[in-house]
Amino acid sequence: MDAVRIDNLTKVYGSGPTAVTAIRDASLVARGGELVAILGPSGSGKSTLLSAIAGIIDPSRGRIAIGGTTVFDDGWRVRDLRRFRREHIGFIFQAHNLIPFLTARENVLIALQIRGETGASAVRVAQELLDYLGVGDREHHLPEQLSGGEQQRVAIARALATSPEVILADEPTAAIDTERGQAVMALLRRIAREQGSAVICVTHDRRMIEGFDHIYHVKDGVVSDDQLLTRPSTEVLVEAHRLREAP
Amino acid sequence: MNLALRDLRRRPGRFALSCLGVGLLLTIVLSYSGIYNGFVQEALGLIDTSGADVWVVQRDTRGPFAEQSRLAEDVRYRMAIVPGVVEASPYLFYTVQRAWHGRPLRFAVVGYDLHSRLGAPPAIVAGRGIAQAHYEMVTDAKLGLPIGTTLQLGLHGYTVVGLSRGMVASSGDPVAFLSLADAQEIQFVKDNWAIRSQREREKQTYEHALPIQPALSAQLAAQLPDNPELHTVNAILVRLEPGIDPQAIADRIGRWDYFTAYTAERQQQLMLAGSVARARLQTSLFRIVLAITATVIIAQIIYTMTLEKLQPIALLKLIGAPTRLIIGLVVQEALALGVIACAVALVLGHFTYGMWPRLVLVRFGDQVTLFAMVVVICLVASAMGIRRALRVEASAALTG
Repeated sequence: MDAVRIDNLTKVYGSGPTAVTAIRDASLVARGGELVAILGPSGSGKSTLLSAIAGIIDPSRGRIAIGGTTVFDDGWRVRDLRRFRREHIGFIFQAHNLIPFLTARENVLIALQIRGETGASAVRVAQELLDYLGVGDREHHLPEQLSGGEQQRVAIARALATSPEVILADEPTAAIDTERGQAVMALLRRIAREQGSAVICVTHDRRMIEGFDHIYHVKDGVVSDDQLLTRPSTEVLVEAHRLREAP
Repeated sequence: MNLALRDLRRRPGRFALSCLGVGLLLTIVLSYSGIYNGFVQEALGLIDTSGADVWVVQRDTRGPFAEQSRLAEDVRYRMAIVPGVVEASPYLFYTVQRAWHGRPLRFAVVGYDLHSRLGAPPAIVAGRGIAQAHYEMVTDAKLGLPIGTTLQLGLHGYTVVGLSRGMVASSGDPVAFLSLADAQEIQFVKDNWAIRSQREREKQTYEHALPIQPALSAQLAAQLPDNPELHTVNAILVRLEPGIDPQAIADRIGRWDYFTAYTAERQQQLMLAGSVARARLQTSLFRIVLAITATVIIAQIIYTMTLEKLQPIALLKLIGAPTRLIIGLVVQEALALGVIACAVALVLGHFTYGMWPRLVLVRFGDQVTLFAMVVVICLVASAMGIRRALRVEASAALTG
């Protein structure tokens, strides 16, 4: 079963002569255990696409299904999107990933608490995740006391805490240096394999695109599939991307 | 896990400062309740402790506190024979201001009958009561005169032999209790120069009326008393037999030509309807203004605190936090601010009201009312913050 399936998705902001089409007839598929990249320059519509998958914005038309459940279908949408999000989707993004007044462990615990999981078992899960991601010894630190890479790993732990079918990552390496960025990407790949979640990662950082199962390019709202280039070398991908972006 | 506590824990100093600021404001709100209660307590103190069931005053006046009243001292004997009256006792009340050791000493004098003791100080907290007919007095501790101090009043010096507590006039001036005779002498006995002037004036009046009988005019002038008002009092206090209706006695005395009689209850009403009523209006208006000010300030603080949390709130929404969790975060912080500020106000008030120049009497009911008011204020004030928090889009977490 597809973890995420998008068919002919269009998002138009505004109406009449001032209308702007951010996404045009986009289709995308991500299966459990896959690491999928959405690549594109700033303003291309990739964050809009991610927001639509997350149910943060309502598409103008098209269909989105997550874990086999239709979330949006030509104007109809599932009633309690926030609840749907907390049960099916995990989030990682570039910065401001963590709640600043909660410690690392509490940042993971909050995701569990929102799902109604509290007590010793929740604490154990949070601790295991932090240990798994190598930040177990930083559990009582506030985000401001953690490095960028540590913050990102705590955010990943929070995203994993509820065992979501889909993890949406928006520029997860943008706020950290290359070395740590590559470590985070390696971690996401490992998670996709080990947890069976579909990880959809929006990025414009060409250095990080190695190792994705699928790469979707977004340009001017048009999404194209690079399935034929599955697991290409970095050089080939970079060149392909450069050619696509060239005027 | 309580998010509000976690958030407040992050900047405890700033939150404590906010609590202190609001707490000081609430101290003033609470003080105004206490000041009004103090006005009432002080205004009614002399009436409540007098032991009188009925107050007899000059016809159609509201004396002796709300208005000047003058009666002959011997009216007491007429009152004493009214059926149901156990005792009738003269009472004198006036205000004095003297310079004492370079500072103005302002106080109210109460002259009472040492035998009946109606109107006497209810309790002596230091020293003793008046034990002789002249030249002794009991003052309220608030006056600041130590026992043994002799104060020159009129022609004589009066020694403080005892101290009372909480006995002040409605103006807040502490009371000095003297024997009736001493109080009358201080108020009505003229000094020698005034007496000589008066005698000369009276002599000339008679000489003008009887120009051909100088001996008779001189004799008539000499017979006039030097202090004709010496036996004047302001009220007659009446104590009744148990079971006698004070209103019935007051009505009966009121039917006589020259007197008006009030029950103790009516005397209290007269007092409260006068200067205290105005003070009540004043303090009530001030309390309303302060309550509105407190609401605005708390709303501002809560709103600012919410603005600083918009990113985490957006993040919470993104990861699926229910609306009640976000509302709870804002409301709990507002309530924490209000409750702590309320506690600050209560503690601060408790330790400082004794130092205020006038009595500040905060009752348990006032404290409960303040707490309830603060809870309502916090809920109202948090509405603005909640509205802002609910307007935040989850997508704001992605955009940073």
